[in-house]
Amino acid sequence: MLNVRLRPEEEAALNLRALYDAHGYSFYRMSRFEEYDFYAGKKDFLTSSNILTFTDINGKLMALRPDVTLSIIKHMKFIDDVPQKFYYDEKVYRVPKNANTFREISQAGIECAGNLNTRDLREVLELALLSLKTIASGRKFILDVANAAMIAELVPETQSRNEILKCIAEKNIHELKQLNADEKLVALMTSPKLDANTISIIDSLNEYHEHIRIDFSVLNNLNYYNGIVFRGFIEGIPESILSGGQYDNLMGLMGHKNCKAIGFAVYLDLVERGFSHD
Amino acid sequence: MINIALPKGRLGEKVYGLFVKAGYEFPGMLDNNRKLVFENEALNMRMFWVKPFDVPVYVERGTADIGVAGKDILLERAPDVYELLDIQAGKCKMAIAAKNDFHDNPQKILRVATEFPNIAQNYYARLGREIDIIALRGSLELAPVLGLSDVIVDIVETGTTLRENNLSVIRFIADLSARLIANKSAYKFKTEAIDEIMRRINCD
Repeated sequence: MLNVRLRPEEEAALNLRALYDAHGYSFYRMSRFEEYDFYAGKKDFLTSSNILTFTDINGKLMALRPDVTLSIIKHMKFIDDVPQKFYYDEKVYRVPKNANTFREISQAGIECAGNLNTRDLREVLELALLSLKTIASGRKFILDVANAAMIAELVPETQSRNEILKCIAEKNIHELKQLNADEKLVALMTSPKLDANTISIIDSLNEYHEHIRIDFSVLNNLNYYNGIVFRGFIEGIPESILSGGQYDNLMGLMGHKNCKAIGFAVYLDLVERGFSHD
Repeated sequence: MINIALPKGRLGEKVYGLFVKAGYEFPGMLDNNRKLVFENEALNMRMFWVKPFDVPVYVERGTADIGVAGKDILLERAPDVYELLDIQAGKCKMAIAAKNDFHDNPQKILRVATEFPNIAQNYYARLGREIDIIALRGSLELAPVLGLSDVIVDIVETGTTLRENNLSVIRFIADLSARLIANKSAYKFKTEAIDEIMRRINCD
C-alpha cells in the first residue's frame, strides 16, 4: 500500500467506483477525444454548446469530450437489447456557467441502457442515493425526483415554453401564473404528485424515505429527459452534486430505437469546494 | 442558522421594514456604522447588507441562504436560484426609451446604451435584431441626447427624468420588483425555516 493521502475528490471517486463495481456495473475507460462531427446534431444532449476543439495530425477536427454519456452509448453493443451497465470516472471539458474559459471537470457516474424494466430504474435510483450517502459521509442529503413526461404534457410547444421551464426550475409560482401556465402545472409545483409507476419505485426504496422528495424544479431540459429525472443535494454544498434521469430519446437518435436508457453524473469538483472549509 | 442578504440602499431599507413587521428584527441594521453582519441569536438568523447587484452571487454560492434582489438584477445575472416570492416592493419597469422624434431604421445596427447588457441582448436577440451594446454605469439619458446611442434600455419608475430630457418610452419589456430568492441546496435542508419567513413576509 502506498502511503499517499488522497484528496477528498479522489477518495470520493474511489468510493463511488467500489460502489458501482459491487452492483455489477463495469468500468468504462475511454479516450478524451472524439471526432467533432460526432457531436453535430446532438446539441440537445449536451449541457453546453461550447466544445473545445483541435486539429489532429491527420487534419481531422477533434473535440475534447464535453460529455461522457454520448461516448459510452456510442460504444455500447446491444444483443437482444440486453441491458448494458457501465460506470465511469472521467474528466470532461466545459465552460462552467459564469466562467469565461474552459475548465476540466471531474465526473463519475453510471449509464444503464437496453430493454430496461422497473427493477433497473429502481437500481439506478438506489445507486444515486447510495452515491449521495457515500459522499455525504454523515451529512444530510436529499434526492429530488420528478417525471419529465408529466411536465412535457402540460407545457405547450409555444414561444413561452422556455420561460415556463425557467419558472419551473426557479419554483417561481408568481410568474408561472402570469404566463398563463396550465393550472395542473401550477398544482404540480405547489403540491407535487408523481405517476403511479414512479411512486411504486420510490415506495420500494422505503429505507431512504426521508432522503427522497418529489420536486419538479429539478427538470431543466425536456429535450434530454423523457421520464424519471432527479437531482441530489448534500448539506453544505451550494449546488446539486448529482444529476440524472431517463433519456430514451438519445437512444433513438443513436440508432437504438427500442432501447431505454437511464443514468446520472456526480460532479466531483463540488466535493472539494463544499467541504474544504472544515 | 439562516443567513439573509439584503441589498444596500433604499429598496433594501424598505424590505428590511417588511422583515421587522414580520417579526424579524436585527438590532443595529439601520444604524449608520461600519458593522457589516447583524445577528439575532434568538431567531438563529443573520442578516447582512451587500451591493444590490451582488445579492444573487451570495445566494447562488450559498453564503446567504436567502436574499432579496430586484428582478432587473435577476434578469441580468440569471443566477441558478429559487425565486420564491414577489415581495411587490420597489415596483417599476424595464423599458426601451429614445428621443421623442426617434424613428427606427431597421437597415442600421441599433446602438443600445444600458446598464443591463444581457437583458438588452436577450430582448433584441429574440427579435432577431442586430445591436451594438454600449455598456454604461448610470446617467443613461445622456446617451441618446448626445447621440452616443439610438435607444436606452433602463429602469423606468415615473418617467419624469425621461420627459425632462425629451425622451419617451418606446416599449416596456419587463415588470420589476423585489424578489425573495433562495439557494437551491440550502432550501432543501432549511425548508421549514425559509417557508416560515416566506409566509410571514407575504402576509401583509
